[in-house]
Amino acid sequence: MTATRTAAGAPERVRPAGYAVVRPGGRGSFLVHRRSLAVTCVLAVLLAAVCVAYLCVGESFVAPGEVVKVVFGQPSPDQLVVGELREPRLALGLLVGAAFGVSGALIQTVARNPLASPDVIGVTHGAGAVTVAAMTYGVTSYSALPYLSITGGLGAAALVYVFAWRRGLHAARFVLIGIGFSVALSSVTQLFLTKGDYLVAQQAKVWLTGSLNGRGYAEARPLANFVLLAVPCALWAARAQRTVSFDDDTATALGIRLGRIRFGLVALGVVLASVATGAAGPVDFVALLAPQIARRLTRTAQIPLLASALTGALVVVVADLLARKLFSPTELPVGVMTAAVGAPYLMWLIVRSRSRSGEPS
Amino acid sequence: MHLRRRTGWMAAATVALLLAVLLSLAVGSREIPPSQVLDALLHGGTSQNAEVVRSLRVPRTVIGIMVGAALAVAGVVMQGVTRNPIAEPGILGVSQGASLGVVCAIAYAGVGTLSGYVWFAFAGAGAAAVAVYAVAARGRGGASPVKLALAGAAMNAFLTSIVSGVLTTDAQTLDTYRFWQVGSLSGRDTDIIAMIWPFLAVGLLLVLAMARGLDALALGEDIAKGLGQNVAVLRLTGALGATVLTGAAVAAAGPIAFVGLAVPHLARALVGTAHRWVLPMAALLGPVMILVSDVVGRIVFPPSEVPVAVMTALIGVPFLVALVRRRSVVAA
Repeated sequence: MTATRTAAGAPERVRPAGYAVVRPGGRGSFLVHRRSLAVTCVLAVLLAAVCVAYLCVGESFVAPGEVVKVVFGQPSPDQLVVGELREPRLALGLLVGAAFGVSGALIQTVARNPLASPDVIGVTHGAGAVTVAAMTYGVTSYSALPYLSITGGLGAAALVYVFAWRRGLHAARFVLIGIGFSVALSSVTQLFLTKGDYLVAQQAKVWLTGSLNGRGYAEARPLANFVLLAVPCALWAARAQRTVSFDDDTATALGIRLGRIRFGLVALGVVLASVATGAAGPVDFVALLAPQIARRLTRTAQIPLLASALTGALVVVVADLLARKLFSPTELPVGVMTAAVGAPYLMWLIVRSRSRSGEPS
Repeated sequence: MHLRRRTGWMAAATVALLLAVLLSLAVGSREIPPSQVLDALLHGGTSQNAEVVRSLRVPRTVIGIMVGAALAVAGVVMQGVTRNPIAEPGILGVSQGASLGVVCAIAYAGVGTLSGYVWFAFAGAGAAAVAVYAVAARGRGGASPVKLALAGAAMNAFLTSIVSGVLTTDAQTLDTYRFWQVGSLSGRDTDIIAMIWPFLAVGLLLVLAMARGLDALALGEDIAKGLGQNVAVLRLTGALGATVLTGAAVAAAGPIAFVGLAVPHLARALVGTAHRWVLPMAALLGPVMILVSDVVGRIVFPPSEVPVAVMTALIGVPFLVALVRRRSVVAA
């Protein structure tokens, strides 16, 4: 997503270092960041390999050959286990991971701060509170949950935004107020947990840690719709991302409506995180981790969107694979794995931070 | 600040506490007029109302006072030692550390009694406090509010994930734990009072002994050293006192956030920054906040009760917002 459109046939000598010119079909040309392209390809291949492994491993081992057969719709004795049980769960994991990855990338870009992830600014907690409240009042239809969690996520983000706004949006203030609201919203969630009966509490508790257990196409489908809807937005976002990196004065001079672009990017990020939370619960820290890993791999100044999506999917699928196998026969919720890895990473970011406001490099 | 004004506020806080106690004794699913409450306390009696007051409401109120005082004083100390207005046991993950200690005690050590798991709570609270501060203090700029809050949030998430991991693999523990996990004063019996008061006393003594040290520390590390204070010992004593207080409070009532944040700021606004005034003031106001939250929680959704921790969180958020919106906090 780092391709830069230039005038057709840009002379070789003004090409920036690390970029290659691509001329598809002779009309127009793109600059492609070579390393980003390579990293994205490697991530995609790695993800495919992990997906096959994911489908192989479980209570019973299925040979990779059979897995490939099932995926391509050929008759196989393992159709039930692979096709009906593991495939839907994998699909959900991929979508959730990608959605969190992109969401984190967008919000971190706008905030210019790797710490401002949807987990930290209250989005996932808002989505969680509304969803658990609905569950305790008997809403169990998985098609309704995404809408509820979007409402919750957007509501929480709007609250934090409004309260953090004071002659501009200061990142530190935003983070502090976000953390405060997160604490308050999670205690509201706890309230509903104690109100419901035991079974609902158990179910909600598992959901709250972010879990793919027993989930599948029913949850993946609404999420897939949203992700598809978000693709054109993401393409726009990839272009808009660059303008956001200008400081306010430059942007004004160039006639860019920075405020609106920022708002659009954050709104898109919040919606993606909320929908993903509605589908699988708040899978912690993926939105924080994925963009930073992706950026370090591609070594670009900007956070690459496509690579973030792939990294997010990779993180969730690997974490779920581990969560399923590590303590078998008990299946841990995937959120436990991502938090157990993500929280220490966040602390490492803080330790490395360079400025007083807690903004790491 | 004038002595007279300070004593005036202290008297007002004492009256507020007495009123809160009376409310806590009188309000509930059974309304009992204050005259009967006093009668039951002073002259005994065997009426149903008297029984309810003595066997249910008195222990609950006493635990509320203890927990409120412990959390508020722990907040004052943490804010003083870290010189950071955002420090608070709930937000910094210290309460969650104590919770993890208790969960482990229930799930793995087979400990079912409070006297057993209070030690686990101390261990968890202490470890979490040290880890969070160590993380936040590294790097440039030291333990700024944002870094402390973020380290606390990360620690909270980390500990919560471990607690969830334990609970999802162990349904029996979940059932014992889920009511206690939300800070609440209901269903706590008299044994808890007998169990935690010594810890509370030790914690408060430790903290009161370092009031002057905290005042010196407020002027900066170098000046504190110049005034003859041993900063390292001061920090250690403070951490120990705050840990014992938080651990005891969490063991008694579960994690309750925002009391340790809101009350110290309120206390400082009333009696100034001298810790020999702020500490007792916080010890008076903390119970007021807990008891009032608890009473409100009893009457908003009858017949069920809203746990006190939910109410303190809802009351505490505006406080945090106001605090953060003051520019000084962000810049610090």
